[in-house]
Amino acid sequence: MTSDGAKPGAASVDTSVNVGGIQLRNPVLTASGTFGYGTEFAAFMDLRKIGGFVAKSLTLEPRSGNMPARIVETPSGMMNAIGIENVGVEAFIHEKLPQIPEEVPVVASVFGTDPEMYAETCRRLSDVPQIKGLEINASCPHVKSGGIEFGQNPKVLAELVRVTRKATSIPLLIKLSPNVTSVAEMAKVCEAEGADGISLINTVQALEVNIETRRPVLRNVLGGLSGPAIRPIALRMVWQAAQAVKIPICGIGGIATGEDAVKFLLCGATAVQVGTANYVNPKAAQEVAEGLVAYAQAQGVSALRDLIGALELPESG
Amino acid sequence: MVASSEAALAGSPTRSDAEVVFNRDEGADNWRMRLRVPGWPRQTAPGQFAMLTPGGLTKLSSDPLLPRPMAVYRVFTEAGGAEVEFLYKVVGRGTTLLSQAEAGEVVGVVGPLGQGFSLPPSKGKAVLVAGGTGVASVYELAALACEKSEVWLLMGARSAADLGNLEDFEALPLNLEIATEDGSRGHRGLVTELMGAAGLDGEEKLTLYACGPTPMMRAVAKLAAERGQRCFVSLENPMACGFGVCLGCAAPRSDGGFSLVCRDGPVFDACEIDWENL
Ligand SMILES: Cc1cc2nc3c(=O)[nH]c(=O)nc-3n(C[C@H](O)[C@H](O)[C@H](O)COP(=O)(O)OP(=O)(O)OC[C@H]3O[C@@H](n4cnc5c(N)ncnc54)[C@H](O)[C@@H]3O)c2cc1C
Ligand SMILES: Cc1cc2nc3c(=O)[nH]c(=O)nc-3n(C[C@H](O)[C@H](O)[C@H](O)COP(=O)(O)O)c2cc1C
Ligand code: FES
Repeated sequence: MTSDGAKPGAASVDTSVNVGGIQLRNPVLTASGTFGYGTEFAAFMDLRKIGGFVAKSLTLEPRSGNMPARIVETPSGMMNAIGIENVGVEAFIHEKLPQIPEEVPVVASVFGTDPEMYAETCRRLSDVPQIKGLEINASCPHVKSGGIEFGQNPKVLAELVRVTRKATSIPLLIKLSPNVTSVAEMAKVCEAEGADGISLINTVQALEVNIETRRPVLRNVLGGLSGPAIRPIALRMVWQAAQAVKIPICGIGGIATGEDAVKFLLCGATAVQVGTANYVNPKAAQEVAEGLVAYAQAQGVSALRDLIGALELPESG
Repeated sequence: MVASSEAALAGSPTRSDAEVVFNRDEGADNWRMRLRVPGWPRQTAPGQFAMLTPGGLTKLSSDPLLPRPMAVYRVFTEAGGAEVEFLYKVVGRGTTLLSQAEAGEVVGVVGPLGQGFSLPPSKGKAVLVAGGTGVASVYELAALACEKSEVWLLMGARSAADLGNLEDFEALPLNLEIATEDGSRGHRGLVTELMGAAGLDGEEKLTLYACGPTPMMRAVAKLAAERGQRCFVSLENPMACGFGVCLGCAAPRSDGGFSLVCRDGPVFDACEIDWENL
């Protein structure tokens, strides 16, 4: 089936894409940390109507998160400092994954505090049939030991990609941080070290203050900004990364509608991930997939793939 | 999904755009809104809540972005869904937008969510302590509890005007006592000061329930611990999703871990909560 959301009588649209070896029925995934372990959404949507989902970042051992407050709403967005709270890789494989319908492709997100921990987590996930790819979270901006350092320093990032690449032969995506000077440079590092694709962006490092208490709102002081507020930044970074590398890109940041997703494809993304919008409307990802098809039909586009990188730039004088 | 029998009893939550039946100002920024919610399950546990989005689930504006959690006040089941009533106080932008929704317009609803209150043992005694908008969480509990138990409802507010419309509560066979900080109605002072009333302090076979501002719940929990009484609280941590995926609403537990207020709560046994870090 390649015509999700098609209206009867409307031209069918080929929605399938391939992200670095991960074959997807449509280009809409859900972003890590915003879709739980997938099971929570069963009451609200049909998981088979999206391309697949990226699970909450996993660590080798279960991990408890930060003290509250962990979230705060900001203009057209929200900030979070959860602290990569997760059930750990083994509980994910044995308790969570069996609850997901088999035909739903799962990408496991991996986090660690040193490269060897990342590598070991990757090894444990690599032989699980339903896991179609790994996404290395090299960009979480609010965990003191790890996260930001990997994604912000090209040498450290190169080592992480090298070590995780060695640990797995299944498709490997690297999720990049927006909190860098040159995303193109980071993307090139990933490509050179053998990554199959990149995902971007993670949350934008931010601060919110309570003027009554004169304290930061979040206990962690800094948090990561997500939602529509970061969408233009994300689009810019996807476009810059797409100019720099040939490996496919998963575009992330503030996507809530099919129109938003179209913009990311035009800027060079092969697939997109829906994040914060899942909280606002638990069926958002399915509606983004349907919206992409509606756009293609209205524009006479027969395959969504044809939109990738189709941005038309003004003539340079 | 959560496999507990309570969750199964409560039924699967719905996600739908609900039509506003009425939405009215009851004074002092207290509002009452009734929504016709398609797909609302047959059973709602007392103390469950819903996430509400003024303008509907696919609203055009992204600011404010997140839905607002509101306790389910009363439910009137009907074919294919239910009419669900909410009591809310206008305190900021989200609740201002809610108050502007007129009859016939839509409000997005995800719910019912969370785990509700356990009822007091039959023929037992129950004391419900409610402060501010916390009263909305305890109406269904009060109504069910007073069928089989003797119930005291202690209500606190800044002044008489803030209490809102108490007709529904006054119609129940329970002992209603009121405290206002300015003394404009009932006892002058804090609602927790009423807890010594009716000689209930030494009563071990008594269940306490508290819903309201955190300092009030903390005080009730402390008293309950001192008296050796069972105590349930309904927490109101800020939420983004309401159904256990963002991990934003975590409440620290007394045993060191975290519970999610939206999924494991909002109702908790008070002794499970780490009140220092909440
Ligand atoms: C499970 C649950 C049930 C709730 N039930 C009810 C209810 O039945 N009736 C009702 O009136 N309110 C209830 N609340 C609180 C309600 O969700 C908030 O008042 C609302 O989200 C505020 O939105 P706003 O945009 O108007 O205010 P904002 O602009 O977001 O904030 C305005 C002010 O309200 C405070 N505030 C924001 N969120 C909360 C919160 N969760 N708890 C306490 N203060 C807050 C802020 O600190 C700020 O001072 C409940 C909350 C939860 C978590
Ligand atoms: C509450 C929350 C938790 C998140 N947790 C993770 C995580 O565990 N791993 C990860 O790679 N990204 C995580 N993210 C980042 C998202 O996957 C996404 O990159 C980011 O939110 C931008 O997309 P959005 O604007 O659509 O939300 C989290 C985001 C939020 C809001
Ligand atoms: S509000 Fe998202 S997990 Fe509780």
